[in-house]
Amino acid sequence: MYEAQRALASPVRNPRMATVIGRLLGAAFLICFGTGLYSHFLQEPLDWMRFATRPEFLYQVTQGTHIVAGIACFPLLLAKLYIVFPNLFAYPPVRGLVHFLERASIALFVGASLVQITIGLLNTYQWYPWPFPFRQVHFALGWVLIGLLVIHIGVKLPAITRHWNKSSSSDDDHLVDAVSNDRASNAEAVRLWGTTRPGGVTGRVLDYIDATPRVASSVSRRGFLTTVGVATTAVVGLTAGQTFTPLNAVNLFGPRKKGVGQQGVPVNRTSEQAQVADAAMASAWTLTLAVAGTERSFTRAELLALPQTEVRLPIACVEGWSQMASWRGVRLRDLADLMNADPETSFRLISLEERGSFSKTQMGREYVRDPLTLVALELNGETLDLEHGYPARMIAPGRPGVLQTKWLSRIEAIQ
Amino acid sequence: MTRADANTTGARASGVGISGLNPPPAGITASTSRRMRSIRLVLVAIGVLLLAWGAFVMFDSVRLTRIPGVALWVGAAIVLHDAILAPIVFALGFALRRVGRRATGTVIAIVQSGIVVGSIVSLVAVPTIVAKNFAPANPTVLPLDYALNLGIFWLVLALVTVGLSVGAFLRWRQPVPALPDDSGR
Repeated sequence: MYEAQRALASPVRNPRMATVIGRLLGAAFLICFGTGLYSHFLQEPLDWMRFATRPEFLYQVTQGTHIVAGIACFPLLLAKLYIVFPNLFAYPPVRGLVHFLERASIALFVGASLVQITIGLLNTYQWYPWPFPFRQVHFALGWVLIGLLVIHIGVKLPAITRHWNKSSSSDDDHLVDAVSNDRASNAEAVRLWGTTRPGGVTGRVLDYIDATPRVASSVSRRGFLTTVGVATTAVVGLTAGQTFTPLNAVNLFGPRKKGVGQQGVPVNRTSEQAQVADAAMASAWTLTLAVAGTERSFTRAELLALPQTEVRLPIACVEGWSQMASWRGVRLRDLADLMNADPETSFRLISLEERGSFSKTQMGREYVRDPLTLVALELNGETLDLEHGYPARMIAPGRPGVLQTKWLSRIEAIQ
Repeated sequence: MTRADANTTGARASGVGISGLNPPPAGITASTSRRMRSIRLVLVAIGVLLLAWGAFVMFDSVRLTRIPGVALWVGAAIVLHDAILAPIVFALGFALRRVGRRATGTVIAIVQSGIVVGSIVSLVAVPTIVAKNFAPANPTVLPLDYALNLGIFWLVLALVTVGLSVGAFLRWRQPVPALPDDSGR
């Protein structure tokens, strides 16, 4: 084990580097957790929760950041694991209950982190090759990982504080026992093999590894940090164009492309998946508003006859992509006033779609009363496409796409 | 927990061999270390609570029959990294150092960097190519030609890497004695 650690020794495998990369990775985890919680509560608000409706691109930014930080975790996590890899060969493997728990928590931390960023990434590709539900597991693992992160920081705090600043961190500090203490290493080797080196094939392999020239440590360290920086910039820069317009031109690997889709807007759930085409195209379609026992139905022509408002709002998906668009339709506030709804009322939005987790959703009063919230009838100057929710859909500022209910059928006040 | 165990926590839990072997820098007073100790205990306690909450959320929202699948993926991820990916990375780095014995460290570092950057971008990009083959739900999902884009990316990366390496090699091509070795051996 000591020999393995020694063979793996490298100038970048030191606690200072672990601290430097660990800080960035920890920050990325916290950003993912925070933006993830925000997205979660937007979709499943607790009763007392109210949300900001401005800036109207708020969710585009928080969820875009969630995905960007998650993608940045790939190079950062791999770098962190590269730095601490020799710790895997710690010897003796377990020195007691506390040491066992620490190592077990690290193993879970590593495994859960890798799974979390992998299923998160593949979810944006709408590819689900795993035997469990994505949303619930991703959410639960978020809590698990934040817990493990806090434990990890607690356990490593002395090392983190010592190596936080470059000046107080020494180049002579090494991550692993063997390298920092050759005496112990040799003693252990003597105990194991009766000499300081193992014999036979193992010994020859280790000698071969030792005889290979090593790159100067300053070059090695600078090279490592540059690599992590370039890799992070590359994976983020070449995908984030699906959210952030300035990067659209270099969007080589994003799962969505701005402007690609019916009427220039990408689509998530299709009319076919939702099985709504017949009901949506039927001439008998009406939008029913129900407030305090009163119901009133509007045909599309009647909605078009009401005062129309045009707004520019992004559609921003939980998967991270977003698309600015121009929407035209009736203010929900106007419809609510028409029905004499109390301004403090929240609404329930019901789609023609009968199945699907978002066929019925709730809208808090802050969105209902917002002048930008529309029952949209037109998109980018044309009649709303069936795939975008014809005959009528919801569009509100700062909400996830799954809550921008398509194929509206009924809007009820929640008493 | 015995008294001895408690001492072990303080000295060793801070990292495998870091604080265990290097004495703390001079000037750290007993009260600082007591404060450090209590901060660490609080952090670990908060972390355990969050972890427990996460476990509760998991068991509360995911059907029991699906949980082994999660455990399997977590376990597989550890094996995949520790037993496959990390040894490959080690072997590659090692091979590069041997092949590049006569090059300067800078050239080795540049080539290594190019390979790593390309691999990490591929890690994110290759699944798009695979997923696109499964006929995405609609044409606006995965609309790009990702294989072509990845090819272009590797080409540009290779050109930049070669260019930088040649530059570094020309700058450093004076008789280079043995590379300095301060890796701690």
